[in-house]
Amino acid sequence: MNRVLTPHEIDAFGRELDSLRQEVLNQRGQRDVDHIRGVVRTMRYSEAAGRLLLHVGIDPVTFALGSGALGLAKILENMEIGHNVMHGQYDWTHDPELDGETYDWDMACAAHQWREYHNFEHHTFTNILGRDRDVGYGFLRVTSEQPWNPAHIIQPFVAVGLAFLFQWGIGAHALRLDDTIAGRQPVAELWTRARPFLAKGARQLFKDYVFFPGLALANAPRVALGNLIANGIRNVWAFAVIFCGHFPEGVRIYHEQETRDEPRGAWYLRQIHGSANIEGGRLFHVLSGHLSHQIEHHLFPDLPACRYPEFAPRVRAICERYGQSYNTGSFRAQLTSVARQILENALPSRARPARMH
Amino acid sequence: MNTIATSAPHVARIASFALRTTQRVSRALLLDRPFRFWVNELAPVASRVELRARVLSVVDVTHDVKTFVLAPRVWPGHLPGQWVPIEIEVDGIRLRRCYSISSPPNDPHVEITVKRVPGGRVSNWMHTRLHAGDFVRLGAPSGDFVLPAATPAKLLLLSGGSGATPLIAILRDLAHRRALEDVTYLHAARSRRDVLFASELARLGALHPGLRVVLHLDDESPRLDATQLWVLVPDLAHRETFLCGPTGMMDAVAPAFVGLEGRLHHERFVVAKPAAAAPGAGALIHLGRSKRSITTTGRGTLLDELEQAGERLEYGCRMGICNTCRCAKRSGVVENVLTGAISNEPDDDIRLCVSIARSDLTLVL
Repeated sequence: MNRVLTPHEIDAFGRELDSLRQEVLNQRGQRDVDHIRGVVRTMRYSEAAGRLLLHVGIDPVTFALGSGALGLAKILENMEIGHNVMHGQYDWTHDPELDGETYDWDMACAAHQWREYHNFEHHTFTNILGRDRDVGYGFLRVTSEQPWNPAHIIQPFVAVGLAFLFQWGIGAHALRLDDTIAGRQPVAELWTRARPFLAKGARQLFKDYVFFPGLALANAPRVALGNLIANGIRNVWAFAVIFCGHFPEGVRIYHEQETRDEPRGAWYLRQIHGSANIEGGRLFHVLSGHLSHQIEHHLFPDLPACRYPEFAPRVRAICERYGQSYNTGSFRAQLTSVARQILENALPSRARPARMH
Repeated sequence: MNTIATSAPHVARIASFALRTTQRVSRALLLDRPFRFWVNELAPVASRVELRARVLSVVDVTHDVKTFVLAPRVWPGHLPGQWVPIEIEVDGIRLRRCYSISSPPNDPHVEITVKRVPGGRVSNWMHTRLHAGDFVRLGAPSGDFVLPAATPAKLLLLSGGSGATPLIAILRDLAHRRALEDVTYLHAARSRRDVLFASELARLGALHPGLRVVLHLDDESPRLDATQLWVLVPDLAHRETFLCGPTGMMDAVAPAFVGLEGRLHHERFVVAKPAAAAPGAGALIHLGRSKRSITTTGRGTLLDELEQAGERLEYGCRMGICNTCRCAKRSGVVENVLTGAISNEPDDDIRLCVSIARSDLTLVL
């Protein structure tokens, strides 16, 4: 239940978050660089171990261990490293290996397309219906405020399918296929958008299912299957974490007219009410790329993510003082909530009382 | 490599084609990053991406000046008087500064001589934290403060303070080549304990009759200016002069060279950070890539102002969130309108949509 703030309070709220941000900026330094380089090192060793086990082993134990290690590496690379580096969180280090503009991640989505639709669209127009295409990605109905259509009946199955193919979903999201289907985007433009995605996807497929298996010679099928499993592990994990960030119950959806000319404080409020956190330990946070702190990430997407758990209690305290909700819960609770949303919204909305904001 | 190229040019061509193809394929398959990681992890000095050098030793030159003896993996070679960019990491941030090379080309190692500047982030870090065995990154040596191809018969090597570093390289090179026919080495220092390379200068002076070493100490005699210079070097007009020193010293001696400009070579160490102008003052923005210069009012954000001037720039949120309009600032002062933070460091990344110019700027656009 959120208290309605006066314009004066909204400004004060914004200023408190601004000064929190500045405080964290002033502390940025060696610790953040050590953290991300440590994660990179863990990821590379895990990747090397995974490939080694897959390539030289012949037994099921090394197969399981190898696939798992490779899956772990892909999770770390995509989430804690790729996502955060590509937000420019480490640009201030001037280390070319941590440069957000040139980083390309180990998955099917072309990095420059993601920087555009995610860094700009999603992080600027967060949860605004019609502007933020991340609300259900154009084909899932995750809130009753989205219009229902009969295709939504099968969305529980579509969502499960998306979980296993998540990297392809993230990549294809840049195409705006739904806009073309609805006649809002010419086919020529769809093709322009599709080319970088198809190129990146083809290269990734070649790498995972031709190049590395080829290196393993007789072990090729084993390596290809191991890569498929590693990709699958990463896909399901990323899907679970990301769906918990914006689609649990209680996350607010906005309409464009109510966000017109919103002051910075109101922008902050929208980021908080449009996001949800997941509680967990340090390892869980790193594996989620700190998207377990979706609220803090949306407030300050360019601060090093490893700082989120440190200042999250202060964000929460500010929210409490201003009578604003702060959506957080265990992984299981948030997942259950997301599942319920997907199931309930598969059917046309029942007459429900309007949500209290 | 040369023998291959002359005996069978197609072999070299095929080799270079194979290398380029491998690089392209590894980039396409995103194998270049892991490759660089493992090189860095297992054999840091072997990196081909950047030129690394091991610090062999650190030598105290004076109470606030140290010489760092570096062993780069490969060295493209330098001319005496040139400088080299050196990159170090201070509190997680890579910082790059250019230092004159104080060693001559025949030296097996590369030496840079660094004065500890009060408040200087790089020089202080190097003095306190850089030790033998550490690595630094180097750029390519560069600079045109060098002797002409034919060594002039009569030379004046004139330096003030740490401006002596390129000139000692020139002097050492001349001594090595036994080309010290008629050289005056005039060095201005604050006091006797601030004289750089004092014992070496004394040794060289005793060894080479063609070398005259003159020391000018600020605490013992009047400040070095044009008149003083003529007194110390009466045949100034007949000499090719190489001048390097602090801005104040260079300005003070400048009148002595009126009419002699053609024989004066100088190198300026930029030490002063640009001062911020008052908010709203107009600024001249140099765009490094497009070679355009734009005058702005200094009131709007750089993104707005540059767009008004007809630049088409990439942008996203226009509120300092999405990082799309990030741009490298080579020099100048900008203010972040969200935080009020001032950026006056060279080579800082700024977001155009939340930055306003507080001085003339050079941007990589």
